[in-house]
Amino acid sequence: MSETTARYSTLQKILLYALLVLMALVIAFPLYQAVVTSLQTEADVSNYPPKILPLSFNPQNFGDALALAPIPRYLLNSVIQSSIVMLAHLALASLAAYAFAFIDFKFKNFFFLLFLSTLMIPWEATIIPNYLTIVNDLRLKDTYLGLTLPYLATAFGTFLVRQFFLTIPRDLHDAARMDGCGRLRFLLTIAVPLARPALGTLAVFSFLQTYNQYLWPLLVTNDKNMRTVQIGLALLQDQERFLWNIVLAGIVMILIPTFVLFIAGNRQLIRGLTAGAVKG
Amino acid sequence: MKRTTLLIIALAALALVALACAPAATPTPAGPVKFAFWHSMGGTNGDAVNEMMKRFNTAQAACIGEAVFQGSYDDSLNKLKAGLQSKDVPAVVQQFDLATQVLVDLKVIAPMQDFIDKDKFDLKDFEQNVLAYYAIGGRLYGMPYNTSNPMLYFNVDMFKAAGLDPKKPPRTYEEVSKAAAQLTKKDASGKVIVYGYSMAIYGWFFEQLLAASGGLYLDNGNGRDARASKAAFNSGEGVRILTWWKEGYDKGYFGNFGRPTADTQKAFDAQQTAMMIESTAGLRSRLNAAKGKFELGTGFLPRPDEAAFTKSGTIIGGAAVYIMKDRPQGEQNCAWEFVKFTVSPEIQAYWHTASGYYPVTKKSYDVKEDKDWVAQYPQFLTAVDQLHAAPNTRATQGALSGTMPAARQRIELAIEEVIQAKKTPQQALDDAAADVTKLVADYNKSVGQ
Amino acid sequence: MATPHSRDAVTAPTPVTRTARSARMRALQNFLAAMLFLLPSLFIFVSFVFVPLLKTIQLSAFFTDPLGRMASFAGLENYQRIFSEKDLANSLKVSFTFALYVVPTTLVTSLFLAVLANVQLKGISVFRIIFASTIAISAATASLIFLFLFHPAIGIFNYILDLIGLPRVQWLTSEATALLSVSMATVWLMTGFNTVIFLASLQGISQELYESAKIDGAGFWASFRHITIPLLSPTIFFLIVVSTLGALQAFTQINIMTRGGPLDSTNVMVELIYRAFYFNGQYGIAAALSVVLFVMMLALTTIQFGVLEKRVHYE
Repeated sequence: MSETTARYSTLQKILLYALLVLMALVIAFPLYQAVVTSLQTEADVSNYPPKILPLSFNPQNFGDALALAPIPRYLLNSVIQSSIVMLAHLALASLAAYAFAFIDFKFKNFFFLLFLSTLMIPWEATIIPNYLTIVNDLRLKDTYLGLTLPYLATAFGTFLVRQFFLTIPRDLHDAARMDGCGRLRFLLTIAVPLARPALGTLAVFSFLQTYNQYLWPLLVTNDKNMRTVQIGLALLQDQERFLWNIVLAGIVMILIPTFVLFIAGNRQLIRGLTAGAVKG
Repeated sequence: MKRTTLLIIALAALALVALACAPAATPTPAGPVKFAFWHSMGGTNGDAVNEMMKRFNTAQAACIGEAVFQGSYDDSLNKLKAGLQSKDVPAVVQQFDLATQVLVDLKVIAPMQDFIDKDKFDLKDFEQNVLAYYAIGGRLYGMPYNTSNPMLYFNVDMFKAAGLDPKKPPRTYEEVSKAAAQLTKKDASGKVIVYGYSMAIYGWFFEQLLAASGGLYLDNGNGRDARASKAAFNSGEGVRILTWWKEGYDKGYFGNFGRPTADTQKAFDAQQTAMMIESTAGLRSRLNAAKGKFELGTGFLPRPDEAAFTKSGTIIGGAAVYIMKDRPQGEQNCAWEFVKFTVSPEIQAYWHTASGYYPVTKKSYDVKEDKDWVAQYPQFLTAVDQLHAAPNTRATQGALSGTMPAARQRIELAIEEVIQAKKTPQQALDDAAADVTKLVADYNKSVGQ
Repeated sequence: MATPHSRDAVTAPTPVTRTARSARMRALQNFLAAMLFLLPSLFIFVSFVFVPLLKTIQLSAFFTDPLGRMASFAGLENYQRIFSEKDLANSLKVSFTFALYVVPTTLVTSLFLAVLANVQLKGISVFRIIFASTIAISAATASLIFLFLFHPAIGIFNYILDLIGLPRVQWLTSEATALLSVSMATVWLMTGFNTVIFLASLQGISQELYESAKIDGAGFWASFRHITIPLLSPTIFFLIVVSTLGALQAFTQINIMTRGGPLDSTNVMVELIYRAFYFNGQYGIAAALSVVLFVMMLALTTIQFGVLEKRVHYE
């Protein structure tokens, strides 16, 4: 990084910081409020006006939430399930995106549209046939494979990675090929490192998309030891007595893994690579 | 060379899939018979279900049951439907009142009556009104498990402040409106800070108010004399409910906190509404929330006039448990043992005090645990009195059709149309009735009727 | 694969046909190579997306039993019915309105945030993390949080309005504001992801380009228009396509926050399908609605590719 801080005047800096802080407050507020409420008592949450400042500290909510739903076990299952899907997405999307970005082949547009068309099918259209395939034909009830198999490929990820691959100069690819660099080696040693920000984003996105699933895990699991976090969240909700503090405590707990992943991947995601490296 | 590498990758991907094809072994259990119980109880009620199952498993040695949470009743019903096509069903399932007809039509349940007859099980201590809901043609299909009815909740402190007698809560629509007018509070700018009365836009409340005024929801005696063929709720009784609702709303005495009942409950807790209609099942939670802030009173569900109190009453809400006939006989027998266990007075008393649903057998009230509880929360007796006061009629037995979940949603739309002044009560109910009739026809056709 | 070689030996082709043939060979080679790269994804898609889709198309031409199995042939009757009722038209309107609220707002907001977070200031990485943080939040979680914030009785948003002396808003309980409220929550949720993608792309733009533009006297807006936007165009194009598809299939937030109400003002397409499929037992109707939505999105995406991708500046 070059020393560029000097390029702003003091006034500009103040304005920029003010804008940054304002936007940060707006974005962080809902989450902040969720954390504050997760530490309130039931009586606090039943009052108007609501409390905005973290004045009460009632960590018992977390204990109560844990007593109602085996959240740690559900977290583990969700993390395994989501990691499998994430890794498969990274691999399959990179492979497919390579073909779409670097190989000139017949019917390329058709195949690309075919991929994209998978993003246009409402979930209701596929869930029952897939349930029957997984539970009835493949006998994969209560397995990680059953939880993940129908979701291992990603048109979204393919599209995302393709867009990044397309910004890599084609000459770089052709020259590497001329030098006898195999397609797979080019993909792994040159293209993938250059698309690291995209792959990082895809990793977080895929993980989360899987983490978010409710109905699919509910359908293909019965075993308590195979269930996932969103079912845990449903377990905390009782329409006759909707306890916001307990539900929000559950939410805060299931947010932890995704935030850890996000913070860990932050360097890859946001800092990316220096400009010079991209252009080789 | 390059190609082989690629091939290996492709094969590796396929191998992952091939793994899937290994058939899972299904071992035959030795010793106690295992069976599954699917339920839809979240929160602390879910805990009570687990406790109940634990007690059952320790009370006898022949069967081991497992309680499995399957999401909401709708989630569970859809999972059951899918499971029926792949033999993934439990021995016993809890399903809500609205699913009764569809479960019967699917021909997947072993009628409870068969087990009752075979075992010569005595039902005389049961609440007859509760049994009536789950009986079709005099035969009981499911065993009532958790039952509730809606009643009036009110803020005693606000009643006193407004000069109303908390010992005599309003009983008719007119009285509710009058009290609501007195209870409504506005700030200096004219903004309402406390509504006199509120009820969630919830189809169940409409069904209950309709039954309590003696009106039918579907034709053919609510689908109990013969299969229902059309909607009947666009009657004078139905129109009167919405007219009353709309009037209170327009005058600013009735609050609208949307469809979710939990939101109106919170408004009551936060003292933004002085009265509300809510299920008895939420009583304990409301008492917790009111503790130290205000005293909570309960009354009967309002009726159009005094005469309605003797003529009709509320419907049994809640859910029943059903035994699935696809499971082996051994599992069905265990399921029946479990069902008997759950309706025993001691367990119903536990369930009652732990969940807030009222017991299905009268004997539960003799159990000490229950006596203590009622002594502590006398407000609870309102629901029981209301249940006992209801005559057993086609109206109070409730509507029977496979389209009830859809009909309930359609009614909620009609209520919104009236409140938002899009349609008159008659027009909104007529339109809803036309749609529900179409849904009933579709449903009847789908089951070959 | 040995045949071309033996043929070569016999016919002794002219240089021209040899080029043509080797071009064809190369095309074939390319095609096969591409297929190998696509194969793992295609395998999953065929098994778990396309085969079910074909079953759905088939189901849309049938009346069903209560389990959702085909009972009797309906021809086009399910389609006739959905086109004759007002629900489909309403839901299409709601879905497209929702997409119109959400997609441009999210794009502009996140581009703004990304450009803002791309400045070189002390502590900027903290802001980057906050701006991107909603990427770690699932739709279900976000919906529950916003349900609490919008709460008609104890909601913080109304409290804030009270504090600053503005009239309260019936966020999710009024026909006039429900869709906007859900859109608000959705924009918040999507901003994180979009900001991350924009930031990643911005990092890919060489600083030298800006330096030289500055030397040529270009101000912020000029560089933004002539350098940033063109170089971000692949990303913008990608985000327009996928956000539109995502918005047209919004479900989780609708189902948790409003269930399609009040007055069907948030009854988006996927919620409508869900009701038919999940509550009403109208499986044929649900299938027909799914097919209609699929065809519309396919057409829309094809148009987006035709119109927009030409303007995208790759490399």
